[in-house]
Amino acid sequence: MPRIFALQVLFSVVTGLIGAALLHLVIVLLLPDFSERDAYTRVLAEGESHRFYRLGEKPDRAGLSKDDPFVDTAVCAFDVSEGPLRLTAPNGGVPFWSLAVYDQSSNEVFSINDRTSAGGVLDVVIATPVQLTSLRQAQPPALSQSILVETTQAEGYVVLRSLVPQPSFADIASQFLSQATCTPFEWRSRSRF
Amino acid sequence: MFRVPFLIAIALAIAFGGGIWSTLVALDATIGFGAIRLGAWEAFPEAQTAKADPYAKSHRANAGKLLYASAEGLVFTAAVDETGARLTGNCSYRLTGHTPPARFWTLFAAAPGAPPPSAQSDLPRALNSRMVLRDGDGGFDIVMSATAKPGNWLAVPEAGPFRLTLTLFDTPTAGSSGLIDLSMPRIERTGCGNA
Repeated sequence: MPRIFALQVLFSVVTGLIGAALLHLVIVLLLPDFSERDAYTRVLAEGESHRFYRLGEKPDRAGLSKDDPFVDTAVCAFDVSEGPLRLTAPNGGVPFWSLAVYDQSSNEVFSINDRTSAGGVLDVVIATPVQLTSLRQAQPPALSQSILVETTQAEGYVVLRSLVPQPSFADIASQFLSQATCTPFEWRSRSRF
Repeated sequence: MFRVPFLIAIALAIAFGGGIWSTLVALDATIGFGAIRLGAWEAFPEAQTAKADPYAKSHRANAGKLLYASAEGLVFTAAVDETGARLTGNCSYRLTGHTPPARFWTLFAAAPGAPPPSAQSDLPRALNSRMVLRDGDGGFDIVMSATAKPGNWLAVPEAGPFRLTLTLFDTPTAGSSGLIDLSMPRIERTGCGNA
């Protein structure tokens, strides 16, 4: 009788271990969909979409902070389901800036830095494939220099970084980030009238 | 009489306890598979892409960090020295050599889980490629210690283990598998205590 009981305990332990392995896989695979601490949720928690928020050295109430003491960072959440988004920033002499576009699951959609941009100036349009097709047909003159980026996910966020190698660059970098815009691009309204 | 409920309770306790515990440990221990290791340094060039493995995706969803995209830079971290011993603030280290090609790099030390140091701190807790003094062929020699040292000095946390973070900005190596051939600076221990 005790032997049968020991076998039963062993069986339940093995069942438990198999269950633990299954649960491990389920959590790892589902965590990205349910996490409330992921980067997109935090960027959304910064405030309303379509504007840049500067990050400080201490984590803000959304939980985001600068990752590097020499890099100033700004984030902007976007939703291009209504219309394309245009990102612009004049370059007043920052030694290095870079932009990363992520979708809502934090997968990289597009990235660019000042050397790969046109003339060191940030001018990027993010659009869905359908919007991009009509944009290319219309060819608005305002977008002649813009880099057109196609995203299949309508929602996502943008990270803009600017380098501060020495404290004397802080003003230029700060100006670059505060002048950066992240606004919906309204080109259809003009063609309608 | 209570045998069946007891057995079910054992199975459930192991399943839930073990499943949750092993997941927490796995997500805490590593950023995922696909690491590039160069000496003591490791980097995850695909952690921010859609090609990342499920562990990497899970880790980044849980950590909520803003990762560097491929045109921005690549982050190398080191928690051990060249011999494999853990980096600790009780010892002094030398960091010598070259970084892979990059337009700019930054280097700082922080305790595991601690935020990066402030650029305004009184001690040189973070260095970058424009600050360091170099020798004739462009190599550098940085002394990492909790107490002040001549030359290039990186102040590290006074006690306990720390982790070095070397970020290469605009580096052609971020998207390349040729990274394996590249050389990273060596981390050598020079002495411990007051030596």
